[in-house]
Amino acid sequence: MGPVENIFMKIFVFVLVQFLFLSMGFSQESIKDQHIRIRVLAPQIFSSEDETVMGLYFQPDPEWHVYWQNPGDSGAAPKFDFSSQTADIGPILWPFPARLPIAHLTNIGYEGSVVYLFSVKPKSTSDVEIKMNLEWLVCKIDCVPGFAKINFKQPVHSAASRWKAADLDLVKKFLARVPESADSAPLKISMAYLDQGHLKLKVKSASDLKTLQIFPLNGDFIHAATPEIDANGDEFIFKTTSVTAPAKLSFVAAYNNTAWQFNDIPLSLTGAVSAESLLSLIFFAILGGLILNLMPCVFPVISIKTFSLLKTKGKDRVKDCLLYSLGVMTTFVLLGGLFLFLRSFGAAVGWGFQLQSPAVILGLVLLFWLMALNFLGAFEMGTSIMNFSGQLKGGSSSFGTGVLSVFVAAPCTGPFMGAALGAAITLPALSALIIFLGLGFGLALPFILFAFFPRLLTVLPKPGPWMEVLKQFFAFPLFATVLWLLWVLGQQAHTHGWYLASIAIFVVSLAIWLSKYLSSQKNIILALVTLIVVGGLAYSLNLLGSPTSSQITSNWQAYDEAKLKEARQNGQAVFVDFTAAWCITCQVNKQAVLDTVEAQNYFKENNILLMRADWTRYDPKITAALSKLGRSSVPVYTYYPRDGSEPKLLPQLLTLNILKGETQ
Amino acid sequence: MKKLLSVLAIAYALVLAPTLAWAEAVPGKPAPAFEVKDAAGKTQKLSDYKGKWLVLEWFNKDCPYVKKHYEKSTNMQDLQKKYTAQGITWLTVISSVKGKQGHMTPAAATKYFKDKKSATAAILLDETGAMGKAYDAKVTPHMYIINPEGNVVYAGAIDSNDSSSADVIPKSKNYVAEALEASLAGKSVATTSTKPYGCSVKY
Repeated sequence: MGPVENIFMKIFVFVLVQFLFLSMGFSQESIKDQHIRIRVLAPQIFSSEDETVMGLYFQPDPEWHVYWQNPGDSGAAPKFDFSSQTADIGPILWPFPARLPIAHLTNIGYEGSVVYLFSVKPKSTSDVEIKMNLEWLVCKIDCVPGFAKINFKQPVHSAASRWKAADLDLVKKFLARVPESADSAPLKISMAYLDQGHLKLKVKSASDLKTLQIFPLNGDFIHAATPEIDANGDEFIFKTTSVTAPAKLSFVAAYNNTAWQFNDIPLSLTGAVSAESLLSLIFFAILGGLILNLMPCVFPVISIKTFSLLKTKGKDRVKDCLLYSLGVMTTFVLLGGLFLFLRSFGAAVGWGFQLQSPAVILGLVLLFWLMALNFLGAFEMGTSIMNFSGQLKGGSSSFGTGVLSVFVAAPCTGPFMGAALGAAITLPALSALIIFLGLGFGLALPFILFAFFPRLLTVLPKPGPWMEVLKQFFAFPLFATVLWLLWVLGQQAHTHGWYLASIAIFVVSLAIWLSKYLSSQKNIILALVTLIVVGGLAYSLNLLGSPTSSQITSNWQAYDEAKLKEARQNGQAVFVDFTAAWCITCQVNKQAVLDTVEAQNYFKENNILLMRADWTRYDPKITAALSKLGRSSVPVYTYYPRDGSEPKLLPQLLTLNILKGETQ
Repeated sequence: MKKLLSVLAIAYALVLAPTLAWAEAVPGKPAPAFEVKDAAGKTQKLSDYKGKWLVLEWFNKDCPYVKKHYEKSTNMQDLQKKYTAQGITWLTVISSVKGKQGHMTPAAATKYFKDKKSATAAILLDETGAMGKAYDAKVTPHMYIINPEGNVVYAGAIDSNDSSSADVIPKSKNYVAEALEASLAGKSVATTSTKPYGCSVKY
């Protein structure tokens, strides 16, 4: 090569370099600002045929960082404002981020550099021109905001876009981190629901949830901190903020450097339950219903029923058993329906709501009273009362006993029922009704078994004169129940409560005695008068205000959320007893465990603050507190540990050992 | 029927109840008590303000988002002036710990707010961060409104645009102004809680 060619070569190379430099000039568009450099990553020439993904390369100084679209507790996502006449520009594609702890807060952003991506489709072969308005925040602990305007311009041709390899690699690297569609994900989010102030996300995944990272797109409602994983390992538990919950939530989940986006997962505010947990709830409902048979309030009625079965034979027994079961289940479903109906009006009701009204208690007082008199043989009264007691052969009597069993069962929330009833208040109507049906089925189960396996009944002794004696004896549990209900009335409506109820007892007893000597016409008048008197008494009972709860003693403070919070802030452990006078289980636990000297000493030694939430009369605050704990019935025993961690629910049947074991 | 109606009223609270976290200053709940010395050396207590509408504003002079409302605009001072004139009390809280960004001596704080023509009633120097943590104040500016009964009626951002540029202020929805307007008119606050934006409080 001669010198002339050499010069030409040099000029050629020079021109070529110049040309390349110029053509790259715009794509090298970069900004240097405090603690950050930003560079546009774009092809040297766009393709007019294809959509091209380009990006903005943010390079913060070491230890400084920029943010994801949900920046977490503080900080801010960068803002991109693009406008272009010559190209269509897609939305920002956010590579999946990392959690960045800042003091006690959590930010969501990127450690080191990141490329924010977006697609560009030229409208024609004329140059792609984009006006970019950028705003960002770059933080270490302190933050520096930045602003920039970039006028981006790059040529277009009809062939494939042409890139500088290093830039394309960067774009590809971060594009791989942009979440893919949820369809291709190796995990499924089957449900999002609220539980005790937490958002729970049920996830089906082959891999351990601990290996997954999950980020909420909505930072308003969900705390940025890493979610906890529940004991079963299939739920993420997020803390939530006081911002009103949205109807739908979106998440990005990342695993092994790949991410998927789950859009618009409906948030069941009512805490819908998946099929499996519904099944287990039904199981608990049946179990709870079955145990209810042994509860002190139901036992007299059940024993009377069993007892009456002895008098019947063969087919009648089967029929009786089935009718009784039908009565139980129908009543449960009807009560459940009423409960749901009230709930649909937003009423804050819980199970046992029927016993929060003094008038209903009065009704039960009279019912048990009359049944007891009847058992003692004080009167024989055609059908009505004894129907209820299940004495007669007629089908309606068995059905009536079923109805009665459910009514008297309400005060005795037994073990296993709490969870089922608690779920029922939050479930969709149909599932809730199934739960109630399950409870009914459980309560009726012994009789259903009698119906289908009549042989079981042969275990029972043969009828005989002893039955009359036993019948008379059964009057006494009933009298005891009356005494207890009068005491409940005293709790609900002061001494006037049991006084008015006693007048009602007197009037009804008198009327029944009178009715023996009156004509049937006059009996109707008598019945009417009695009804009016009793109705008036019930009405005045309901008007009576509730007294200050006698459940509150020197050792127990009345439940007060502010005090509870204050005690917790001071690092004191708190034990809350959610109770009601009409709840026998509560009274049993109170007498046998909570108010014993041993328990009280234990509480004192361990400096546990005792609070009692008395639900004898309707109390919205307590109902709300219960529902926050996911319950709708009493008893509920809650222990708030001194370290401020989540409250713990204790079993519904307490022993001193359980109490000590659970409150450590 | 009366009972049913009262029950209905509670219903809304109930529906919202499960969404409430165990956060400290939560709308609808009593505001946490505080006892902090202000820049004038006076001890400020929540109980001093019973019967008054109270606004708490978390502040850090070096935070760009605070500057957005104090220096690049006079948005915060305007709010203070407007509502103080209507009888509310405005308290500015600095929870920056000594040695961290935004910490101020009483003299420096007094001078700053005087220079900025702020109408805040007092600058609370929460040097231990106890008050900030009790309120779970996350960022500056984090805003709280407390009603005369001592309950929080609003907690969150000052407005709807988390840009650090003051240019967006005219286009933003000012949640604090909106809540105060409703409160002073005897109505209930529509938006009681928003995600606050800004710099982390420098505890």
